[in-house]
Amino acid sequence: MGNCLKGSSADDISLLRGSESTADSSSSDQLGPPPPYRVESLPVYYPSPNISRPVTQLTEEEQVKIAKRLGLIQHLPTGIYDGCKKNRECVICMVEFQMEDCVRYLPCMHTYHVKCIDDWLMRSFTCPSCMEPVDAALLTSYETN
Amino acid sequence: MQSLKAGHLDASRWERRLQKELMSLMKEPPPGVEVDGDQAEQNLSLWTVHMKGAEGTLYEGESFQLQFKFSPKYPFDSPEVTFIGSNIPVHPHVYSNGHICLSILTDDWSPALSVQSVCLSIVSMLSSCKEKKRPPDNSFYVKTCNKNPKKTKWWYHDDSV
Ligand SMILES: [Zn+2]
Ligand SMILES: [Zn+2]
Repeated sequence: MGNCLKGSSADDISLLRGSESTADSSSSDQLGPPPPYRVESLPVYYPSPNISRPVTQLTEEEQVKIAKRLGLIQHLPTGIYDGCKKNRECVICMVEFQMEDCVRYLPCMHTYHVKCIDDWLMRSFTCPSCMEPVDAALLTSYETN
Repeated sequence: MQSLKAGHLDASRWERRLQKELMSLMKEPPPGVEVDGDQAEQNLSLWTVHMKGAEGTLYEGESFQLQFKFSPKYPFDSPEVTFIGSNIPVHPHVYSNGHICLSILTDDWSPALSVQSVCLSIVSMLSSCKEKKRPPDNSFYVKTCNKNPKKTKWWYHDDSV
């Protein structure tokens, strides 16, 4: 099972707790006019993994971004799974690594199948297990080595 | 070289992952959680999960139903998770139409999460509740929202806390 489980569920709780206190002040159990909670106009956290568009609709800027991202991903080290006991399973497809599998190592040392993690990194440049951002500065040092 | 239209597991890996999740959820469910295994076997992309309110919490003695919908892009896309049925928990982050405002279901989703971890988060969300009430914008939201909760641009009020 995912090793980020503890961290993320703890966050959720603190997240929820934090917002309870702000909600408490309004008398919300009365069915009056809706309070000014303008969902649409609030700051948006996207681009997120949920948003995808056909390539034909991408702007030139977005295409450059994608090309750059592909370039960055290619700099992350890959290898053939060597039986390392620390990383036994790819948490994306939930299948145990086999000796011949192509794997990619992230700077945090979490390991995934190349074909599994590359698809995720195109959406979000973070490690799915520990949520560490994959550091672009670190990547340039791979290049010089 | 990967193609730009990538972004999902091929059908066999998608199916294997969901089968595996289903097996472990049936074998070792979190306390108070039970998946409808027969239904999920018939249609792997639509699951119903039964959830009991934990003892010693405001929801003790109540039971709820959760629906999980998995797109072909799962686990890169989060599952669509809503409460369904006649008893929708009265909770500050659950709308009366069953939509749940929970960050791991949208922005904080990661493919390392699973049905099991989503269930655990929802259990702890319910268990930590101190006062049963609907979100302050419930009536407005329910009237105006998209049927798919993932289309909602949730605002997590505590960002500044
Ligand atoms: Zn994999
Ligand atoms: Zn990591």
